[in-house]
Amino acid sequence: MTAIQVNGLTRSHQGFEAVKGISFEVAEGEIFALLGRNGAGKTTTVEVLAGFGRADGGRVRVLGLDPHTDRAALRRRTGIMLQEAGFFPDLTVAQTVDTWRDFTAAPRPRDEALGLAGLTGRAATKVRQLSGGEKRRLDLALALLGRPEVLFLDEPTTGMDPEARSSTWDVVRGLAAQGTTILLTTHYLEEAQRLASTMAIMDEGEIVASGGMAETLAPRGGRVAFRLPAHVDPGDLPLPVTVEGGHAVCRAEDPDLASQTLLTWAAERGLRLAGLEVRTATLEDLFLDLQRSAR
Amino acid sequence: MSLAATYRLGTRLFWRDKAMLFASVITPVGLAVGMPLLMRHMTTGGVAAATSIFHGTLAILLSITAFMNIAVALTNRRDQLVLKRLRASELTDGQILTGQIASTATQTLAMIVVCAVAVRLAAGVPLPANPLAFLGVAAAGSAVLSLLGAAYTAAIPRAELAGVYTMPVFLVCGVSAGAMGPIPLPSWLREVLDLLPTTAVVDAVKTGDLAGPVLILTSWAMAGLVAIKLWFRWEPRRS
Repeated sequence: MTAIQVNGLTRSHQGFEAVKGISFEVAEGEIFALLGRNGAGKTTTVEVLAGFGRADGGRVRVLGLDPHTDRAALRRRTGIMLQEAGFFPDLTVAQTVDTWRDFTAAPRPRDEALGLAGLTGRAATKVRQLSGGEKRRLDLALALLGRPEVLFLDEPTTGMDPEARSSTWDVVRGLAAQGTTILLTTHYLEEAQRLASTMAIMDEGEIVASGGMAETLAPRGGRVAFRLPAHVDPGDLPLPVTVEGGHAVCRAEDPDLASQTLLTWAAERGLRLAGLEVRTATLEDLFLDLQRSAR
Repeated sequence: MSLAATYRLGTRLFWRDKAMLFASVITPVGLAVGMPLLMRHMTTGGVAAATSIFHGTLAILLSITAFMNIAVALTNRRDQLVLKRLRASELTDGQILTGQIASTATQTLAMIVVCAVAVRLAAGVPLPANPLAFLGVAAAGSAVLSLLGAAYTAAIPRAELAGVYTMPVFLVCGVSAGAMGPIPLPSWLREVLDLLPTTAVVDAVKTGDLAGPVLILTSWAMAGLVAIKLWFRWEPRRS
């Protein structure tokens, strides 16, 4: 069954069209990643889905309800981790969670929420003394208080250290395993790859690629670049490459395997692949690749 | 349940903010008790000056403890995106605002009662002849001024300007109610200022006549509700 339906959504801010007719669906229990650079329209989309703003055009449904007109009913079934939102700085972490528990019909126990967010040891700390990453974790604890059926996570791990990011990913996977539908926005390709099964990539208010994570990223998962040896025709290489400013660039789902293939080929011919660079794709690579494909 | 929760939160935050406590409690209570105390031996036109000035300082309590406090608090929370976070919870917009307004109104009413008792003991100002009517009109005034303070946030562009924007309201209310002594005003201006909600409360306490003041307070309450519906902003302007 479909938990989130977005059909032709448009939304403008003061004359600027932030979202230009996007459509996608998220099935129940799925983790869906909305990828994009800053200003792509991800947060605007989440804010409409969370009922903060009305869609200018198109149709949006979350659990079958209109997020704007049915906001009160939907709030009891959704959790929202906003990209930007404030806290009461003079309350402690525990007091903040307790205050939000008062706002929640059937809240998790405070210790359980703090444990999920990895904040148990910071319960007595005032919010003003938390780091940026810890505030994101407190945000997560509040979003999870009502055991939501649908969870919106807007840039959930921004500002977190690697350990906190990893444990947040574990929490997100655990929630999905229990049936929670999760829509997350991120500009970290790795985050989307590790968590989501389906995704859409937004750019300038439009979806430029979407589908299953594996299929969409398969040809673009990583890249191997090297200076093309003299007198070697790119067509002779064992893998397809593009030549960009004297460098051969091979895009592959598994860049490590591709580099081994290329190195073996070069060794057999006594060639050296100077300036060899192997890395997984970044979101920027993905956008460049998508733009190249579009030309 | 959630309304009670926002009421408790508003009350907790009211007493936690030390800077605001100075502005919202110590200053107006100091004026409302201190001025009658200084004038306890004076009479003006056969009326004890302490009594007259205390009635006027009710306008100061209402305009500072209710109006200014809630305007500053809500503007800060709006600009710090705390209101947005509250809206991400299960609370409705109505619960968020009603809880806060009720909390601010209660603190204001408590201040008025404390001051009335304090000036009775320290300056010989008689307790209201009709305590129930006094409490009723003070409660209504506190609620209306808190509601108007919430509505007024729409006119305040940024949190740091909240104090500056609310100061003229405090001055006009104080002058109109005679809290700053007898200031001669043109009759047309006097008639306009008599329509202020703070002046209505002071008039009701002075004269015991409730009909006119209640009508004025009701009109202001309606105007405040409409203004909130039309213009209240939950988030700062994007540009």
